[in-house]
Amino acid sequence: MAVAATPNATLPQIKGVKDVPYDELFVSGHRTCQGCESALVMRHMIKAAGPRTIVLGSTGCMYVANTTYYTTPWVVPWMHTQLGAAGSAALGTSAGLKVLMRKGKLPNEKINVIAFCGDGGGADMGLGAISATLTHKEYNSLILLYDNESYANTDIQLSSMTPYGAITTFSPTGKAKRLMHTRWKKNVPGMLAAGHPESRYIAAACAGYAVDLMNKIRRALEVGGPTFIHTIDPCPKGWDYHPQYSQELGHLAVETGIWPLYEVFDNKLNLTGPTRQIAEGRKKRKPVVEYLKRQGRFAHFTDEDVDHFQGEVDKMWEKWLIPGVIPFTIAEKDRALLRVDTTPLHEVKKPA
Amino acid sequence: MATTEKTATVAVKPGEERLVSIEVVYRGIFQKTLAQRICRGVVLASRRRNYTGTAFARYGDSPERNGVPAKQFAVVAPTDLELEAGMAKYEPAVVDVSVAVDDTLVKGIESWAWYGRQPIWKPVRDNGFVLVTSNSTPDELVQQTDKAERPYTLAVVPGGASFAGLWVYKDDHTDYRVLGALARLLPDWLPIEDVKASIRESTKDEARVVSVQFGYDNVRTREVKKGEGTDAHEKLQFEKPGWTKMREGIIVEARKPGERNPFYKKYTARTLRPVVNFDTCIKCTMCWLDCPDECFEVTPSGHYEVVYEACIGCGICAQVCPVKDCIVMVDELKFTDNTDKFVLYDKQPDAYRQWFTEMTGLPAIGSDKPAATGGD
Amino acid sequence: MATIIEKGQDAVSSQIEVEALVTGCEAIAEAIRLADVDVMAAYPIRPYDGVMQAAAKLIADGKMDVEYIVADGEHSQFEIVKHACAVGARVFVGSSGVGWFYAMEAIAVTGGLRLPVVAICGNRALDDPGAFGTEHNDSLAVRDLGWLMPWAETAQESLDLALMAWRVGEDKRVSLPVAIGLDGAFLTHSQTIVKIPTQDAVNKFLPKYDLGNRLLHPDNPITIAPQVDQDWLMEIRRQNDAAMRRAQDVIREAHADFKRLFGRGGDNPFLDEYMTDDAEYVFFGQGTLALPMKVAIRRLRAQGHKVGLVRLKWFRPFPTADIVKSLLRFKAIGVIDRDYSFGSPNYGGVLYHEVRSALYSQPKRPVVLSFIAGLGGREIDQNMATQIFEKTKQAAEKGSLDQGDTCTWIGVRE
Repeated sequence: MAVAATPNATLPQIKGVKDVPYDELFVSGHRTCQGCESALVMRHMIKAAGPRTIVLGSTGCMYVANTTYYTTPWVVPWMHTQLGAAGSAALGTSAGLKVLMRKGKLPNEKINVIAFCGDGGGADMGLGAISATLTHKEYNSLILLYDNESYANTDIQLSSMTPYGAITTFSPTGKAKRLMHTRWKKNVPGMLAAGHPESRYIAAACAGYAVDLMNKIRRALEVGGPTFIHTIDPCPKGWDYHPQYSQELGHLAVETGIWPLYEVFDNKLNLTGPTRQIAEGRKKRKPVVEYLKRQGRFAHFTDEDVDHFQGEVDKMWEKWLIPGVIPFTIAEKDRALLRVDTTPLHEVKKPA
Repeated sequence: MATTEKTATVAVKPGEERLVSIEVVYRGIFQKTLAQRICRGVVLASRRRNYTGTAFARYGDSPERNGVPAKQFAVVAPTDLELEAGMAKYEPAVVDVSVAVDDTLVKGIESWAWYGRQPIWKPVRDNGFVLVTSNSTPDELVQQTDKAERPYTLAVVPGGASFAGLWVYKDDHTDYRVLGALARLLPDWLPIEDVKASIRESTKDEARVVSVQFGYDNVRTREVKKGEGTDAHEKLQFEKPGWTKMREGIIVEARKPGERNPFYKKYTARTLRPVVNFDTCIKCTMCWLDCPDECFEVTPSGHYEVVYEACIGCGICAQVCPVKDCIVMVDELKFTDNTDKFVLYDKQPDAYRQWFTEMTGLPAIGSDKPAATGGD
Repeated sequence: MATIIEKGQDAVSSQIEVEALVTGCEAIAEAIRLADVDVMAAYPIRPYDGVMQAAAKLIADGKMDVEYIVADGEHSQFEIVKHACAVGARVFVGSSGVGWFYAMEAIAVTGGLRLPVVAICGNRALDDPGAFGTEHNDSLAVRDLGWLMPWAETAQESLDLALMAWRVGEDKRVSLPVAIGLDGAFLTHSQTIVKIPTQDAVNKFLPKYDLGNRLLHPDNPITIAPQVDQDWLMEIRRQNDAAMRRAQDVIREAHADFKRLFGRGGDNPFLDEYMTDDAEYVFFGQGTLALPMKVAIRRLRAQGHKVGLVRLKWFRPFPTADIVKSLLRFKAIGVIDRDYSFGSPNYGGVLYHEVRSALYSQPKRPVVLSFIAGLGGREIDQNMATQIFEKTKQAAEKGSLDQGDTCTWIGVRE
């Protein structure tokens, strides 16, 4: 049963947990793991977007586990897309709706289009298509990358989002090589924000901060054009921790400074949640060891490994041009070239 | 050269292959390595007297989901020829022993890729075995198994469920105790001396051999007659339609607003379930907000009750609840049904408090206050 | 003589059928305009992309209203139209050679999804080495994926088959994607006079695209393509099989309508026969190779040889009954493949295997020969035609072929 169309529907910002919509549009009986944070992202995503939304899901956990044939947990229209096709699915769907409404073949109304992909689909295989979509400013869509830091559906294999040193089935630890994986994780939202000046909204979020996540989703859908949100999703299976700690692990990822929360709205950066507090010096970054030691995938880490990890995160905060967002900096002699808004962070007004 | 070797192998009459099939039912991911080690252990021990075998996981259970029941198998035969009858399958149609390495699995199992809940004894042959690792007695466990459709023997090897993560195996000898127990149940197939010799050779650790012997010595059995067991579990069965009935274009109807997935309920993934102290609940909504399985529903009084059919038992709600002991995770074996409990609290608050204490072992704080009712 | 117009210029508002001197690609662009396509996705690769260039110009000049998306690669191209198709948009897409292969994942799923995407494959040899002449192995790689596959001989037929493609593909009894084969260079890049039908006539022929209860829209909430396992896939494949089988009758129906409305298309929707009435042996092939072979036939006929040509117009669904009925009349069939199947039975071409397989259950069969010709876009000239003829004639007279002599490479330097 469809919910009636509301042509001028707007998605106001959610004021607090009590203001979160109650109705579920992604219902129980999906086949995800105990404590699956990505399932929670799906739930929050569609709660925030509402019933007049089409969701495209690329291959990954949130396809295979959620939508097993003859059953579905989705109340809204949902369609599978290929692993590397989240960007193209969003683009094609949005273009189809746009032209059909223009030609009068479909009633004119605002229909949200959201394509989701995992870190494998979004940061590896599908990055090119996402990048292309973010340049097509005439088509409204949101691409949501849920990042559980491995190809978690296929058996926890290494992706370009797997953190430094972590064990996966493609990067086991062994006698000859303690660390098989020594690449630093790609900075996807920062890269996309830097490279797609016409995308009006790009954000990094975490379901551990549910209202922040839902508001980012609403803002992305409200501003229109192609938008992108990247969530960090603790994965009890691949990260190896008890499922009850999913929320806590998400909080730790943010509080240690490993995963900064922010949004780039109309080319203006706005740090959110604890990340803002850390940046403003109101909160101390927790040592990364507090995060690493909670997970079996880092159980083989020596003190050296932890120190290296900490060092890289420190660099993010101390050396990067914009902490956690833009990884390069500017030579001292060129400082004058920087067009820095000198307003203290706590005085920057959040976008409405 | 002939493709079929003419050897001294006794010709096997079709349908008379000698095979023994063992399945290990386990909690996805948490016991994946354990199940693997048991199945491999069976095949390798059989090699002591030149039997052969195969060990495999149910392909459809992979990718495994944390906590969601899954199966692995060991099939052993005296000859390669006979083993062929047990090969190229997703699972044996009939098994001699079903091993449940977590006793809450006796309440029935539904893998993430199947349709419908299965009794734990479903593939076990007439007079076969269900072997459970548990600290409960066979008499206690049989109260939670589905009513038997044919006789079998329920065997218990002492020990709690051994859970571990994907990368760090909890080497607590559960696998050796189970192998010892299997030797006891299947002396013709797995002589205890063979199992011990195999473990001794592969681990060079006498302590592990001792654990095998412990399992062998301490397994307790109880015959379960046809009709014994409980009727209380939901019958979840699913008829698969044919191609002329299925919608074209690989399409299924969306869920209706307010509906839950009727074909997959997920609760057999649960080893613990949340029990809520409604008296101390401050209605902060955090359990509802952070539940990845949408299992909390608001009551007219503004409380959040657990819909047990939907709960997978992850424990996030208990973890995010800001009130101490307001949401308590309790052993699933203590419960015989999936009935939602708020009605009891609403209508008979004292009975609910008594139940809360009975289940959690904790005092129901606030029992002197009247229960909150609609409109709060 | 009909009114001749400049490409795309006056055809839009014309009340009468006009003629234009256009390439096969440009003819397809006219079909896109006439079909009121909603979404198309482009990516450059020779030789197909002339369609996209011509369509872009039609859009720039305001001759048609299409969402024209320049994609970041062929995979995206095909994914974009697939998803637009699912929300009810009539779509067009295309590629060539290795570009077609780059899109292969999207091509595979579109068949499975039963979405009536219409594509052209401007046939091109596959890399490596890089080559851009025509060869049919690109199209043929999708032969088992549930796509309808017509093959054009002329620019006129390109336009006509494109209109047929939407009509048949979108028919609810079928609902399958269509890949039209267009020979690179000879068809994609050669201008000939093409009759461009009026919008009114096309509207009579081509109903509006209507997905019905398969439309992905909030008013029709459905889940499309959830993951399946071994419990379901055979049933889903069987549904696709049934749709492909039904396509034969739908093509016949559409072909009859097309003939009635436009007066073109020949007697049989699947086969185009040339001088076969009293023929003893025939050439068999698809695409533009029919053109030099017809010239050869006239020459050979003048010398008194009873030779003809059967050209296949739809490779999928393969018109087995029509083929059997037609080919059993002859003593020998020389199948000319502009493709090759390395290591296949008798080391033959793809079409050869299909024809042979179609005839196998007949108690008395003609001799079937395989000729590999024109690979990489090499021209098929009259010398080659003569070689093909002589070998076919010999086999017809002998009534059999020697083991190991079933496949002949024509015009290859030793």
